[in-house]
Amino acid sequence: MGPQILLSVLFCLIAAVHAGQLSLQSPKLTVVGPDGGKLRSEPISLQKRADPVVLGANDILKLTFQVTDQTSDGGVQPHQTFLRFFDSTTGEEGIQPVKVTPSGKAKFELNMAKPPSSLPPSGTAPLRVSLLLGSFVHGPAALDLFDLHVPPSASAPVHPDESFYHPRPEIAHTFRPEPKLPPRFVSAFFAALVLAPWVVLFGLWGAVKPSVPHLFSPSILSFVLSLALIEGLLLWYWVELRLGHILLYGSGAAALALLTGKQALVGIAARRTGSSK
Amino acid sequence: MAGPKSSSSTPKHAPSTKPALSSQSSVALQSLWSAYHDATPSRLKFIDSFLVFLILSGVIQFVYCVLVTSFPFNAFLAGFASTVGQFVLTASLRSQVNSVNRALFKDVSPERAFADFVVGSVVLHFFVFNFLG
Repeated sequence: MGPQILLSVLFCLIAAVHAGQLSLQSPKLTVVGPDGGKLRSEPISLQKRADPVVLGANDILKLTFQVTDQTSDGGVQPHQTFLRFFDSTTGEEGIQPVKVTPSGKAKFELNMAKPPSSLPPSGTAPLRVSLLLGSFVHGPAALDLFDLHVPPSASAPVHPDESFYHPRPEIAHTFRPEPKLPPRFVSAFFAALVLAPWVVLFGLWGAVKPSVPHLFSPSILSFVLSLALIEGLLLWYWVELRLGHILLYGSGAAALALLTGKQALVGIAARRTGSSK
Repeated sequence: MAGPKSSSSTPKHAPSTKPALSSQSSVALQSLWSAYHDATPSRLKFIDSFLVFLILSGVIQFVYCVLVTSFPFNAFLAGFASTVGQFVLTASLRSQVNSVNRALFKDVSPERAFADFVVGSVVLHFFVFNFLG
């Protein structure tokens, strides 16, 4: 309802016509019983509020009025005409559009035996009935008509997903305790133990004493140095470099190792096959 | 180990009486060791000592993980995997380079085997350093 009134106000400002005021002429209210007898029939006064209208379960409420404007003689047909039923205790409202003829005459009927679905679920509090008029060329009007008592309805159905739309209980996480390093003495002892095999290795190598006659020939030395370069790059990567850098430098060092290695190994193979021949 | 040992040298025992089982096995071990020592070229022994080093390294790291703590786990995995992977690469190098296996590896020259070993080792080291953290 709010945005609709806002829209109509905006159009009025844009049109910049003299904003005439809409009002009702000869509004009449009739309550007809189930047998057809008139229980209540009276004109509605916009200045003095009528007594609350009570509808039984089978009564019919009839409203007739004509929408007029101060300037023109005949009636006007506003662009929007709605009847609003509002329950102030629950905050529910129902909007029912009303058909208005081009001459401004309107007729509305509410049969409680077959209530429209737009009627809000209500309890025992009365529904405030008001008429909302919207027009492009007139100012909007919200006319309070009367209070209406209808038989209490069943309560509004609860949506099956209702339970998800309330705050959930706080989640209390329990985390695994942070892993702790063992005492420094234990770490130092086992660090020494893990490095001990190097001692064993050099001892065994010393005992084996393999012959490496051509270790320092240029091709083999350059190959060994390029391998050492690759390993050095990997150590640097472990400490500081990023992946892109190591891949870049590593591919360069790998190309170098490939070249020197090919030379060295071809030389060794030639020496091996040459000496065996 | 991986390579087949030469069976040219004969064991120096064959006692007529039956000695106790432990001394029989110790004599067998002794003869195995001397056969290995005499028949294996020094280059293969060089590779074998590296293999022994790798085994010791891996075992000690595993013992530390079991006894003390597995934190940080990625470091243990990287270290252990490096010893295991390097052992596999070195063992395959040894069997390809061993002159006794020439008939099995006709298309793979010792130089080619060494080149494969180097490439595999570098790739292994790269992944190990990545995982070491």
